[in-house]
Amino acid sequence: MLPASDMLWLALVVLGGSLAAVLIVLGVVLARLRDTERRLDEKESRHESVLDRLQENEYRLRTIIESEPECVKLQAEDGTVLEINPAGLRLVDANQPADIIGRKIFSVVAPEYIDIYRENMRRVFAGEAMVYEFRAITLKNRVAWMETHAAPLRDARGNIYALLGITRDITEHKQAEEQARRHQTELARVARLSTMGEMATGIAHELNQPLSAIANFSRGCIRRLRGGGMSPVELIEPLEEVCEQAERAGDILRHVRDFVRKSEPRLKPMDVNQIVRAVVKFTEHEARQQRTLVRLHLDPQLPKVAADAIMIEQVMVNLVRNAIEAMSEANSARREIAIHSRLFGADSVEIEIVDSGPGIDGNLIDQVFDQFFTTKPEGVGMGLAISRSIIESHGGTVRAESSRDGGAILRFTLKISPQQSNRRERADSIHS
Amino acid sequence: MNEPTVFIVDDDQAVARSLRWLIESVRLRVETYASAQAFIDGYDAARPGCLVLDVRMPGMSGIELQERLAAQRIRIPIIFITGHGDVQMAVRAVQAGAFDFVEKPFNDQDLLDRIQRAIARDGECRDRDLHQARLRTLFASLTPREREVLELVVDGLSNKAVANALGLSAKTVEVHRAKVMEKMHARSVSDLVKMAMQRQAWD
Ligand SMILES: Nc1ncnc2c1ncn2[C@@H]1O[C@H](COP(=O)(O)OP(=O)(O)O)[C@@H](O)[C@H]1O
Ligand SMILES: [Mg+2]
Repeated sequence: MLPASDMLWLALVVLGGSLAAVLIVLGVVLARLRDTERRLDEKESRHESVLDRLQENEYRLRTIIESEPECVKLQAEDGTVLEINPAGLRLVDANQPADIIGRKIFSVVAPEYIDIYRENMRRVFAGEAMVYEFRAITLKNRVAWMETHAAPLRDARGNIYALLGITRDITEHKQAEEQARRHQTELARVARLSTMGEMATGIAHELNQPLSAIANFSRGCIRRLRGGGMSPVELIEPLEEVCEQAERAGDILRHVRDFVRKSEPRLKPMDVNQIVRAVVKFTEHEARQQRTLVRLHLDPQLPKVAADAIMIEQVMVNLVRNAIEAMSEANSARREIAIHSRLFGADSVEIEIVDSGPGIDGNLIDQVFDQFFTTKPEGVGMGLAISRSIIESHGGTVRAESSRDGGAILRFTLKISPQQSNRRERADSIHS
Repeated sequence: MNEPTVFIVDDDQAVARSLRWLIESVRLRVETYASAQAFIDGYDAARPGCLVLDVRMPGMSGIELQERLAAQRIRIPIIFITGHGDVQMAVRAVQAGAFDFVEKPFNDQDLLDRIQRAIARDGECRDRDLHQARLRTLFASLTPREREVLELVVDGLSNKAVANALGLSAKTVEVHRAKVMEKMHARSVSDLVKMAMQRQAWD
């Protein structure tokens, strides 16, 4: 007995490392205790000293469990809580043991997890040691994520009579995990958007394949027909090829459409100045390489806008890159980009990006937002087209102009977030 | 076997088949290959024609295939087909010795014309190679003395001047000269001069 409880001590010391190990030891110890108790009962306490030792041991064990920082509890097969330590009471927000002991554990398990929990219990009572997670709703209706290491407790005959569970609150851990996952998907979206330009090249190449095949097959048919001496049956095969290739082109376009549909904006109240600063950071390296100075003229009092931050970042990266590229291509002596943010009308915020490059030719101003319009030898011409579709999906507008000093000006607007404008109205009415 | 063939290398099977259908409409022989490697493995350099290559291919690119052929001194003319945005690459390929390139989408007549020109060029090169090889064997059949006589005759010296220069009798020179004409299958001195010049130009 003693070595076992000593082991328990040891195991508790390394608790951080292995709750499962503790459980197994604990289970064995408890089972032996019960067994000894039973045998002693049978022998009518003739061995007083042994009983003393047992009580002493049980006392020690109780002390351990009572002072154990994690929730330790015993449950019956029907889910009734038999015993629970003070840490456990705190975990379920119980004021006294009676709040939970004698009641079903399911009273603190979130409804959607009750079935899973039951199944897990069933398996433990079938002899399995398990680790499981569930969402808990405490006696004070606090929602928390829990993790339980559970093991069956057996008597001397090997019958399982209880479930021993050590449970801890993993809410923080879960939240961190959730955040990491969200960050991950956002990164994936960024990656997807930033490769839109590359994607456009890819689409162009992909579409070129079936289109050239169609042209070649058709031209081959025409030539043979012109040459005469060709039976119509011989044209069936190449014409079938033409149909197949047209379908192939259609499939490619469908993929593109699906892809674009997936990038619907998820609007949230955002600080537009913060987005601007993030973009300046992203493009810092390119700006420095091209000896371009970026100045910010941001209105610090702006209300939040309704925006998908990642998409707006993408738009601004496009605009800033275009400015950097225009100035470096034109070999401009002065290379400056000024970014302004300001209130625009009653319900919008405007962002303006001004550069000191060659500006945009008056005849081309209407075309720069067209897909595949580019004046650059290696350009794709999708940057402004994508930017415009993003801004319009946000309910804003985007325009290009040449400034009086010759550089280009690109402006776009974003709607003030509805919660924000309400607050502003309220603030206004209080003042007036 | 000596009929020129248009070899098409394109990883896109539909494009390859469509090119075959188009090119066969002008009664040219066509063979298609799905990869640069497949072409290298299957091509016999003795076969005349031209190569139509997609610049962009997975695995060995068109440009790499061009380099590999150049390294093996295989000089079959190459016409590159380029997609959107690859023109730069094609220009570089032409600078590296490719015959020509067409940009997708191309005009069919344009492609066929270029193919015909490439095949013509390949034919000329092969004729020239043959001619050169023939000349080389002819020259090799001359004795050292005959070669000396040939060089002086080609330089425009009279029989007498050749005899003086080589310390031979005019009669002996006359005999050597007749032998040279016969061995070289030359009908006149000007034929000999032409052959000597061609040999100089190619060596
Ligand atoms: N700041 C600018 N200054 C001058 N011209 C610009 C500027 N921004 C965009 N343009 C013009 O608009 C065209 C389209 O831009 P964009 O859609 O981003 O495609 P790309 O950058 O691939 O050319 C550019 O090729 C350029 O002619
Ligand atoms: Mg751009």
